[in-house]
Amino acid sequence: MTPTVRPAASETRPGALPPLVDPGEPLDRAEVERYSRHVIIPEVGEMGQRRLKNAKVLVIGAGGLGSPALLYLAAAGVGTIGIVDDDVVDLSNLQRQVIHTVGDVGRRKLDSAKESIEALNPLINVVLHPVHLDSSNALELFAPYDVVLDGADNFATRYLVNDAAALLGKPYVWGSILRFDGQVSVFWDKHGPNYRDLYPEPPAAGMVPSCGEGGVFGMLCASVGAMMVTEAVKLITGIGTSLLGRLLVFDALSARWREIGIGKDPAADPITELVDYEVFCGVAPTSRTDDGETIDALALARRLAARDSGQDDFELIDVREPGEYAIVSIPGAKLVPLAGILSGSALEDVPRERSIILHCKSGGRSAQALAALKLAGYGDAVHLAGGILQWVRDVEPNKPTY
Amino acid sequence: MLIRYFAAAAASTGIEAEHLQLPNGATMADLRTELARLHTVSSTDHAPALAQLLERCSFLRNGIAVKDTQLALDTDDVVDVLPPFAGG
Repeated sequence: MTPTVRPAASETRPGALPPLVDPGEPLDRAEVERYSRHVIIPEVGEMGQRRLKNAKVLVIGAGGLGSPALLYLAAAGVGTIGIVDDDVVDLSNLQRQVIHTVGDVGRRKLDSAKESIEALNPLINVVLHPVHLDSSNALELFAPYDVVLDGADNFATRYLVNDAAALLGKPYVWGSILRFDGQVSVFWDKHGPNYRDLYPEPPAAGMVPSCGEGGVFGMLCASVGAMMVTEAVKLITGIGTSLLGRLLVFDALSARWREIGIGKDPAADPITELVDYEVFCGVAPTSRTDDGETIDALALARRLAARDSGQDDFELIDVREPGEYAIVSIPGAKLVPLAGILSGSALEDVPRERSIILHCKSGGRSAQALAALKLAGYGDAVHLAGGILQWVRDVEPNKPTY
Repeated sequence: MLIRYFAAAAASTGIEAEHLQLPNGATMADLRTELARLHTVSSTDHAPALAQLLERCSFLRNGIAVKDTQLALDTDDVVDVLPPFAGG
């Protein structure tokens, strides 16, 4: 006899949660038509669509992940969408940040995103937050929202958003991308693990490249961003099984999604307050000023000219990656990527008998390299303040940046 | 025990997982030493060797993040090696 397999009641399915948002006003005729392909799915239905209409979702960052996430949230009819961003659109964003267009270059991402959303769905209430998110404003800013989607581009903001969401008892839909890799999960401290249960400690500053340093496969934003919205919509409407307690890791090269179970660490300290996340992640402002360890771009240009005429002697070392070097480089610089300096394997390419000037894209990695060289016994070494971006601004403005 | 590699750790080792035999009572620190010993060279020019990635990685033992390097491991543990990244 064949055993009868009954679907478990929704209350008992792992990861299944009650709807996050109560239904809003009944849909009008235009709304029914606009959202009909969702409304006719029994699990969503008119009631699910009214929950979406009543939902308030906050998106951190209108960048790579934020672009598809915002567009899909708007298309799905999420009634209120808040956006936190303090950046402007750059030409190099357009390879993946599909909410912005050529005409938006130089404009605030907030304004560009709002226009795109309103062009797609004028029924959405878009709330703009033109602030740099930090411990002083996060709790107040998050308070009115039902769920937070995080598409930030740095570790400090990730920990801040996690902790603020945990303190407020809100679900935190998290995604991150680099090169060909993506990760996505749902954290909800009240009901399961939070981001610190996956990554208890931030990596040392400068150890992990950003997308601006390491690059990012543009289409990955859509893969991961769409998954984030999928999870947000499921939470709001209370359908399916959420990613709470699971991490999905996507590898675009092998075209595989892999799943990892994440449990709440019973020994972890509870999150009780917000801290200074720049300090926590080791990225607090340090040797930016003239502390004898930096050289500015104009001074470097003078020293390079003197070296060319035989009046100065030093080695200029570019610690970026070959792909970055191919886009733009400083004449006379020798490429020795940071990893080899940190591991010591490339120190043979860094002469001990000459003065050393290090540079990278914007000054972070060269500061790491400088610290490593000092530990390795190099006495006479400095690094270029502001990196090659500052060099292009001050010395060779016709060269490309990235 | 089963060691699973993700993202840059998979790129670096060139494998998604491997079985390792560690002595009874081996700790997380012992496992890290063994991983560094086994993977001193990257399988690709585009990722650092695992030995250089380990410092920044999160290690999940049967789904729970390990912070105590003296934690003793069991032979049937599954340990996930996850390099962090925060791009958005």
